Amino acid sequence: MIVEVLEIAFLFCTLLIVTYLVRHYIFTIAVLRKDKKTAKPNAVLAVNYEPTVSVLIPARDEEMVIGRLLQRTTQLTYPRDKLQVVVIDDASSDGTGQIAEEFAKRYGFIEVLHRDKKTGGKGKAAALNAGLKRSVGEIVFCFDADYYPQRDIVEKLVKEFVDPAVGAVQGRPVVLNEAQNIVTRLVTLERIGGYRVDQEAREQLGLIPQFGGTVGGFRRSIVAEFGGFDESMLTEDTDLTFTIYLAGYKIRYAGDAECYEEAVDGWKAYWRQRHRWARGHMQVCFKHAFNVVRSRKLNLKAKIDGLLLLNMYFVPVVTLVAFLVGVSLILSGASQLFSALWLFVPVSFYSLAGNFAPFFEIGVGAYLDGRTRIQFLIPLLFLAYMYNIFICTKALLDLFAAKLLGKKQVNWAKTRHFGDRNCYIMN
Amino acid sequence: MQLVSSRWVSISFVEAVVLCLLASFRLINLESTVTLLIFNLLFTSLIFQLKGAVNKKLFLLALGNVIGLFWSYVFCSVSAVGTLVFGEGFNVVYAIFFPFLNFTWVVSFWSLSLTVLTPQANTGTEVKA
Repeated sequence: MIVEVLEIAFLFCTLLIVTYLVRHYIFTIAVLRKDKKTAKPNAVLAVNYEPTVSVLIPARDEEMVIGRLLQRTTQLTYPRDKLQVVVIDDASSDGTGQIAEEFAKRYGFIEVLHRDKKTGGKGKAAALNAGLKRSVGEIVFCFDADYYPQRDIVEKLVKEFVDPAVGAVQGRPVVLNEAQNIVTRLVTLERIGGYRVDQEAREQLGLIPQFGGTVGGFRRSIVAEFGGFDESMLTEDTDLTFTIYLAGYKIRYAGDAECYEEAVDGWKAYWRQRHRWARGHMQVCFKHAFNVVRSRKLNLKAKIDGLLLLNMYFVPVVTLVAFLVGVSLILSGASQLFSALWLFVPVSFYSLAGNFAPFFEIGVGAYLDGRTRIQFLIPLLFLAYMYNIFICTKALLDLFAAKLLGKKQVNWAKTRHFGDRNCYIMN
Repeated sequence: MQLVSSRWVSISFVEAVVLCLLASFRLINLESTVTLLIFNLLFTSLIFQLKGAVNKKLFLLALGNVIGLFWSYVFCSVSAVGTLVFGEGFNVVYAIFFPFLNFTWVVSFWSLSLTVLTPQANTGTEVKA
């Protein structure tokens, strides 16, 4: 009896893994076909569409990097009279506010919103909501303080809003400090798999391109209609993604709009960041999964993709369960069916945890980017995935514990940035 | 003449792939054949869509199959010797870890093949203005 139960559990887990593998196989094929058919996206805009734009920069203790981003905003090619930059200094205890103020004095389109310890420090979503109230642009973009955008990024992103059905747009983050160490290189592989293939394929196939909370934007009117960001969510970006889709709007992915970011450069920082993402995604899954299933605004393929996207951070936990159950079955004498399915478990260990992109998808993404040496690191994804299994399991347990104990879940679980990566900026 | 010889080269690479599959099935075990089939499916459906000469890709495919066959043969031998030395318990350890070790060559060879086929050598992130 116990063996039968274990076999059913194993069958369920491996079927879920195989479903994700098939999904990413389809994504890879779709992107390869698109690359064959069309030329590289043209940065020059075909339409003359220039709405007013507000750029929100939530910053808490970012004195090392905020100056670099603000300097870059002064080089943006978008018309100044249609641009507003709002720095939300969220109860910083360092010089972030002063640096932003200096820029605001010199450039009229830059504004600073100071939040003291009473009003601020309640998480990124709360900071963004405060910035949203201050913004005046028809379109609102969000940039993290450690980002370094292309000069024409606003034009590249804003063009998607010509279509009134588009509620939000997402650009492509590229790791700036890739050469720093093995962690930054592995994060680069994650970004390549996640954006060069995953987001691109979702865009191609009419599925659910995701708003990533930075290097992207939305229509202010739509988000204001929702009452702003949900401040109880740890990943307010994923929450907004599903709120937008459920309201009947689309999200577009603009892969040519690149923005350079400082990736986490140590395993400890990696753990903290991924733990927050995993817990936040799980939170959003519990909030939206049922709404996605019964939504009348989403078609069947979007519903399936949406559900798979929402459950993404549960997959490493499922892999762990599949492994443990599989080992138990081997010890108790396995059936033929089990032996065949056991082969699929190791494939998942060579995948990314954040989007479950398998090794073949990441390799193709790196190829499409014209990358060679980074391909050698793909076998090391095994280690990163093992690490992510522990991260996601801990995140799930923490989420349950917080629910049971009624603990507050949101604070600024931010990544520290040091701003010493300017050596990677060559222009 | 060149076209004919190129065809013969292609045919010999395909033959090598078929021979490897047969050898793994007859001489090693079913798991190694299934791994080779997964590798071949991924390779033919994805890598053959990339730019580059067909014969270069066929050569890589055949080489991958030969490496896979050799890898499985080595592990099968390890299993036989391990069972002899450590007893039946070794078979259980082998059954658990063999698929994980088996995919090491698939992933490594996959990344090496893509390195060979990537048209331009770009070693790091380039900041575009």
